Amino acid sequence: MEFLNPVALYGLLALPLLLVPYLIRRKPRRVLFSSLLLISESAASPNIKPWGRLRLPPVFFLQLLLLTLLILALAEPVFTSLPSNVAIVIDNSASMQTREGETTRFTLAQAKARALLGEVANDGQVDVYLTTPRLQRVRANPLAPSEAAALITALEPYDLGDPPIDYKTVLGRLAQENKYQRVYLVSDHPSRGQNSIVRVASVGSSNNKNNFALTSFGVRRTALANASTSANIEVSNFSPKEERLKVVVRAAGKVVGQRDLVVGAGATASASIAGLPAHAYYEAEIENRDALALDNRRFAAGNAATALRMLAVTPRPEEFASLRNIPGVSLDIIAPADYEKTARIGYGLEIFHFAAPATLPRTPALLILPPDANSLVEQQSSVTRPTISGWREPHVLTRYVNFALFRPAYARPLKPKTPANPVVEISQGPIALAIDRTSTRQLILGFDPFPYLGRDNLPMSIFTLNLIDWFFKEGGADGRATGESLTLGTSGDAKTIVTPKGKQTLTGREQAVFTQTYYQGIYRVARGSEQEMIAVNLQDSGESDLRSPAVIDIAGAEQDNARLPALSSYWPYLLLAALALLLLEWFINPRLKLR
Amino acid sequence: MLPEPFTTKFLAQLEALRLRTRKEFLGSHPGSYSSPRRGTSLEFADYRRYAPGDDLRYLDWGIYARSDRLYVKVFREEVDLFAYVFIDASASMSFPSVAQKFRPASHIAAALSYVVLANHDHVKLHLLQGNSAAHASPFYRGRRRMADCVQFASQAAPSGTLDLAGSLGAHLQRIHRPGKAILVSDFLMPPSAYQSGLNLLRAFNLDIAAIQVLSRQELAPNFGSGTLELVDSESGATLRQQWDSKRSKNYQERLAHHNSEIRSFCHQSGIHYSLYVTDRDLGDFVLATLPKIGLFK
Repeated sequence: MEFLNPVALYGLLALPLLLVPYLIRRKPRRVLFSSLLLISESAASPNIKPWGRLRLPPVFFLQLLLLTLLILALAEPVFTSLPSNVAIVIDNSASMQTREGETTRFTLAQAKARALLGEVANDGQVDVYLTTPRLQRVRANPLAPSEAAALITALEPYDLGDPPIDYKTVLGRLAQENKYQRVYLVSDHPSRGQNSIVRVASVGSSNNKNNFALTSFGVRRTALANASTSANIEVSNFSPKEERLKVVVRAAGKVVGQRDLVVGAGATASASIAGLPAHAYYEAEIENRDALALDNRRFAAGNAATALRMLAVTPRPEEFASLRNIPGVSLDIIAPADYEKTARIGYGLEIFHFAAPATLPRTPALLILPPDANSLVEQQSSVTRPTISGWREPHVLTRYVNFALFRPAYARPLKPKTPANPVVEISQGPIALAIDRTSTRQLILGFDPFPYLGRDNLPMSIFTLNLIDWFFKEGGADGRATGESLTLGTSGDAKTIVTPKGKQTLTGREQAVFTQTYYQGIYRVARGSEQEMIAVNLQDSGESDLRSPAVIDIAGAEQDNARLPALSSYWPYLLLAALALLLLEWFINPRLKLR
Repeated sequence: MLPEPFTTKFLAQLEALRLRTRKEFLGSHPGSYSSPRRGTSLEFADYRRYAPGDDLRYLDWGIYARSDRLYVKVFREEVDLFAYVFIDASASMSFPSVAQKFRPASHIAAALSYVVLANHDHVKLHLLQGNSAAHASPFYRGRRRMADCVQFASQAAPSGTLDLAGSLGAHLQRIHRPGKAILVSDFLMPPSAYQSGLNLLRAFNLDIAAIQVLSRQELAPNFGSGTLELVDSESGATLRQQWDSKRSKNYQERLAHHNSEIRSFCHQSGIHYSLYVTDRDLGDFVLATLPKIGLFK
C-alpha cells in the first residue's frame, strides 16, 4: 500500500492535539447540595492534581478513529501491484549537473531511476525517456529492466535548459497512448500532487542555492581597422548574499585577462576586459566554487577574419569597384541572375544593389533601392537632391556624419513592411531603415551611397564606412545558445562538425543546419579547407537559478488507463467509514452527556 | 385559607385520627389520653378498699356479696395531650428548593398538628435552627387554630446550620409538660448528632416520633457526568468531585445505609420512624404510612 498524497500523513502528527480538550481541566460546575456528609465520605481519593485525572470517554476514541480515517482518506491510499509496462522519464537538463555533495543530481537521478526499476515486474517492459532537447524515447523498442538499468547508467545530462513541457498533460498523454501502467519522472524539480499513473521522484536538496553564472561573454574587435579585441562579460549572482567573484578569460590555455566583480544577491554585474590578444576562441570562467559549475564557463569565438568579406549583387558592378579601396574589405561582385547559383559561404555581408533576393539570407544584408517586388519595404516616388530632416543619434550609422552636407543625388522614401527603425529621414519619409534582430542585421537604403568617393563626398563616405563597421560587428564573434541550430551554409561541400566532446559528424552536401548542439563549448565546422568556430553556451537563467525551481504539478492528470490498473484506490471507503463514525458519534454523544 | 393539600376531605380524614402515645402523661384538662392518675373515665383501672366518703356509686356490689368486703372501682384519668412538633429549618431543608422539601415537611407538621388540634389537644411548633430556640409558636388548641399553625410553618425560612441537640435542648428548656414530640427533619447529619438529639428528647420523657423528609434529588442526584464543585448548603464547604454513575451509585448506597442506621436507632429507642420522600402524596403518607408505624390509634 502507498499514498498518492503522503503529505496528508503529517496530519497524523496533529492527532495528539485531540487530547488537549480532555487534558484541559474545565471549570467545574458548581452545584449546591443539601449536605456533603455522605458524598465526602464516598470520595475516597479527592482529586488534587491541577490538570485533573485524564478521563477519556468512548467518544474520544470515536473522534480519534474518525480523524485518523479522514487523514488516511486525504492521503489517498492505494494498493499497488507491480507494473509491467513502465516509462521512466529522466530530466537531463543542465541543472541536473548541480553538485550534491560529491556527486551530481543526474547521478542521483540515475540511481533513483535504477531503484524504480525494482518496482517493475521481472518480465516487465521499460521505456526510458529524456526530457531534453525534447521529450523523446532513448531506445525505440521497450527494454527489459536489466537492459534499462544499463541504458540509464550510460546516459549523460545535456547542457540544455528545460524544454517548455507541461508535464501534467504530456506525461498523462504519454501514459495513455503507450498504455503505460506507470510513468516515473525523475527530476530535480519539486512536485505537487500525485496520481495513480504518473509519479515524480525529486532528487537534490532545495537548500543548495548558492550559484553564480556567466550570463554573457563576447569578444569583439574594436573596429574593422583595429585588431585589438575586448571582452564583455556579464555575471549574475543567484545566491542569497553578495559575492566577490573572480572571472578569468583564457585563450589557448593561458589566462589573457581577469576581473574581480562584486555582485549583490540576485543582481547582475558586467565588465569589459580590453586589450586581449587575438585568438581563435576564448573561454571565460568564474573561479569561485558554486553549486552548478556548468554556467560558470562561457565560450566566445574570436573574430578570426581580418577582413569583411562582402558579396555585392548588382547590375552595376562598376559602382562597387571603389569599395575595394577600403582597408579590411574584400568584395565579390555578381549579377543578380547569378545569385541563386553562387555558393555564398563566408560572407559577412551581402549587398543587393538594385536587387533583392527571393528569400533573405541568414547573413547580414544591405539592400540599396531594392525593386518594388521585395518583402521589406515599399518605395515612394523619387526626390531629387533631398535635404535630410532627421537622423537617429546616437547610432553607429550616423556618427561623424555631417547631414547638412549629406545630399544624395536622389532618394526614394521608404515605407517598411516589417518593423524597422528609421535611421535617416527626409521630409517625405525615411530613406534608411535598420532591422536589428538577434540573429542578423539588415539595412535598407532609399538612396545609393555608391560609388565610394572617399574625400570627394566625405559625408557619404563616412556613412559608408559606418555601415561597414556596423555590419562588421555583426559578423564578429557572437555565439549561439545550446540547443540552437548551427547554420552550415548552402554550399555543395560536405561539412565536418566537431563538437566540444570531440565527436565528429560528417554532414551531407545538402544539410544546411546542425541541430545537435547539446553541449556548451566551441563547435568547429570544417568546409573543405575553410574552418569556422562557433561558440555555443548555456543560455537559460532558469537552469542557473537554483533558488526556486519550478514546481511540477501533476495532480489530477490521471488518464483513463483502467485497462491495466496497477493501483486500486480505496480512500472513498475510508471516507465512507469516517462518515459512518461521524453519524455514530452524532447519535451517541448527546446520550453520553445526558447520562 | 389553607394551602392545597389541606382540602376539606383531607381535613375530615385527619379528624378521624388520633395520635398514639406509648407513655402516660399528666394532663391539665380532661382529655382522651390516659393519665397515670386515677380519675373518672370509663376505663377501669383497679379496686381499692372503700373508705368513708367514697362515692357509693363506685362500690362493687358483686365483690361485697361474695366476700362481704367493700371495694370501690377505680377508673383511669383521661387527660389532654401536649404535642411538640419540631421542624428542621436548616438550610439543607431548602434543597433542591423550599417548595420541594421544606414546604412538604411543614405540611406534614401541619397535618399532624391538625390531628392534635382536632382532638382538642395542645400543639406547639418549634423551628430548629442553629443551636437556639429562637422560633417557637405558642400552644394551639382547637381545629380553628390550624390556620395559625400553617401560617407559622409557612413563614419560616430555612437557613443556616443545625446543631440538633443544641437546638432541641434550648427548646426543651421551655417545655414543662411531657407529651408527644414529633421531629421532622432530613437527618442529614452524623449519627452522633441525631442520636444525641433524640436521646435528649427521650430524657425529657417525651414520646417521640421521627419523620425523615428527603427530596427525590437527594435520593438519586442527577448531576450528569463531569467535574463538579459541590457546595454544602449549610456550611458552604465545597468539594470538587468527578461525578459519574459510579459515584452516584456509591452515594445512594451510603444514603441507604445512613437511613437504615436512623431506622435502627429509632427502633431500638422506641421511636416511631418513617421516611417521607417529598414527591409522594402527602395524604397517602399521613393516612396510610404513618398509621402503619403506630403513630395513630
